[in-house]
Amino acid sequence: MIEFDRVSKRFADHDALRDVSVNIDTGEMVFLTGHSGAGKSTFLRLLMLLERASMGTLRVDGRDTARVKGRDVGRYRGEFGIVFQDHQLLYDRSVLDNVALPLEIAGFHPRDIQRRTRAALDKVGLLGRERANPAILSGGEQQRVGIARAVVARPRFLIADEPTGNLDPQLSGEIMGLFEAFNRVGVTVIIASHDLALISRLRHRIVTLKAGRLVAGGGL
Amino acid sequence: MTWLHHHRQAASGSLHRAMSLPVATLLTWLAVGITLALPASLLVILNNIEAATQNLSSPARFSVLLDTNASLDDANRLSQRIAARMDVADVVLVDRDQALAGFAADTGLQSLLSSLLENPLPHTILVNPRDDLNAEELVGLTRALESFGGVGEVVFDTLWQSRLASAVQLGRRLVFGIGLLMVLGAILILANTIRLAIEARRDEIVVIKLIGGGDAYARRPFLYTGLWSGMGGGLLGAAMTGLFFLYLSTPVDQLMQLYNSDQVFSGLGLMGVLAMMLFGGAIGLFSAWQAASVQLRELEPR
Repeated sequence: MIEFDRVSKRFADHDALRDVSVNIDTGEMVFLTGHSGAGKSTFLRLLMLLERASMGTLRVDGRDTARVKGRDVGRYRGEFGIVFQDHQLLYDRSVLDNVALPLEIAGFHPRDIQRRTRAALDKVGLLGRERANPAILSGGEQQRVGIARAVVARPRFLIADEPTGNLDPQLSGEIMGLFEAFNRVGVTVIIASHDLALISRLRHRIVTLKAGRLVAGGGL
Repeated sequence: MTWLHHHRQAASGSLHRAMSLPVATLLTWLAVGITLALPASLLVILNNIEAATQNLSSPARFSVLLDTNASLDDANRLSQRIAARMDVADVVLVDRDQALAGFAADTGLQSLLSSLLENPLPHTILVNPRDDLNAEELVGLTRALESFGGVGEVVFDTLWQSRLASAVQLGRRLVFGIGLLMVLGAILILANTIRLAIEARRDEIVVIKLIGGGDAYARRPFLYTGLWSGMGGGLLGAAMTGLFFLYLSTPVDQLMQLYNSDQVFSGLGLMGVLAMMLFGGAIGLFSAWQAASVQLRELEPR
C-alpha cells in the first residue's frame, strides 16, 4: 500500500505539492491527472525517491520513505518498474539488452536474464525484434520496449509518466491495455496522464491534482 | 554470487569497450606509460649504479705507517703477515731510510735533511687490496690493519666512496620527487579519461539510476576502465623502459669493462614488469574511484 499523508513538496520558488493525502491499495490501478504543473510528476518523483517530501509522510507498505538511506535508494527503486514518456532507452544497445538491464542490476544469472527478457518481450508483442536497435522502432514499439523493461524484473509497482503522450489514440489504447494486463496479475499501477478522454474510458480510480492540491480521488 | 557476477560483467564489458576504441585506448595507455617509464628508468639506473659501485674495481691503496721505533725486521715480518691475508693482492715495504733518501732526492733538500739527528719517517707498508672488495670489505681491511701490533696509522682514502654514496642518495631523492610528480600526472590523465567516459555515458547512468542501479553499480564499469588503463599504461611503460635499457646497454657495458667490472647492466626483469602493471592498475583504480565518485555525486538522479 502507498500512503501519501499530508505530503507537501516545496521548491525554491513554488509549492509543487500541497498537503496531499492519497492512499493506493496493493494491486490497484490508479490514474493521476491534472494540467501541466498540477504536480503529477512531482507525485511520481516523490514516490521514486527522486525527490524528498518537504512536509508530511510518504509510506510504502508501511515503511516511511524518509528513512530510506542513500545507499538503499537503488534497492528501493528496484521494487518499481517505471515507464517514461520519452522511453529513456539506450540507443547503443539492442532491444534485448535494454530490457535486460534491470535484471543485470538485480544480478540475475545470464540464462535467467535471457529467459525472462524474452518472456517480457513476448508479453508486449516484440518477440522477434530483440536484436533490433531501439532507434529503428516506431514510437509505439519503443514504448513497448520501455514497458517490457519496466516489468521484466516483476516489480510490485508499475509507474508510468505520460506513457501515451507521444502516441496516436489507437496505440495509446494498446499501451493502456498492456498496463491493465499487468494490473490483472497483481501489479499496482500508477499512471500520470492528462489524456482525460483516454483514461475516463477505463474503469479505474482517477486522482486529480490542481496547482499541487488534491481535488478528487484521494481514496481516504 | 550476484556481486561476483556484477564484477565479471563490469570487467569484461569495460575491457570490451576499451578494445572497441583501439586508438583512444592506446593513446591513454601511452600517456600513462610515459609518465611511469621515466621514474622507473631512473630508478633502475640508480639500482645499477649502486650495484656497480658495490663491485667496482678499487684503485685504492693503503699506506700502513709503522711506529717510529719499529725495526726493519719487524716491518718485514708484518709485511709478510699482511701479504698472507686473503683480501690483500700484494704489499710493498718502503724502508724508512730509502724513503728519506727518495724524499731528499725529489725535493733537493739533501743538505737540510742530512742535518737531522734521526730519520723522522716510519717504515711504511703499501698494501694493495684485492680488486673485488666492496666498500664494506675495505673498511674491514682497514680495521684489521690497524689492529696489528706496531702499526702507528693506516691511511686510506674513502672520501670518493662517501661522495658516491651521497650522490646515489641524492639521486634516490630526485627519483622519488620526479616519480611523485609523474605519478600525479598519471592520476590526472586517468581521472580525466574516466571523467570523459562518464560524460559520454551520462544517459546510460541516468537510466541505470532511475531503474534501481545504485552508485556502486554505476561506478563499477568505470573502476574497471581505470584498472585496465592503469595496467595497460604500466605494461607499455615497462616496454618503454625495456627499450631504453636496450639502447643504453652496449655503451654501459663498455664503460663497466673499462672499470674491470663484470657487473651486468640489468633492466626491470619480469617482476619489475609485473610491479609496474600492478602499480599502474592501483593508480588507475584510485583515479577512477575519485573521478567517478565526484561525477556520480553531481549527477541527477541521486
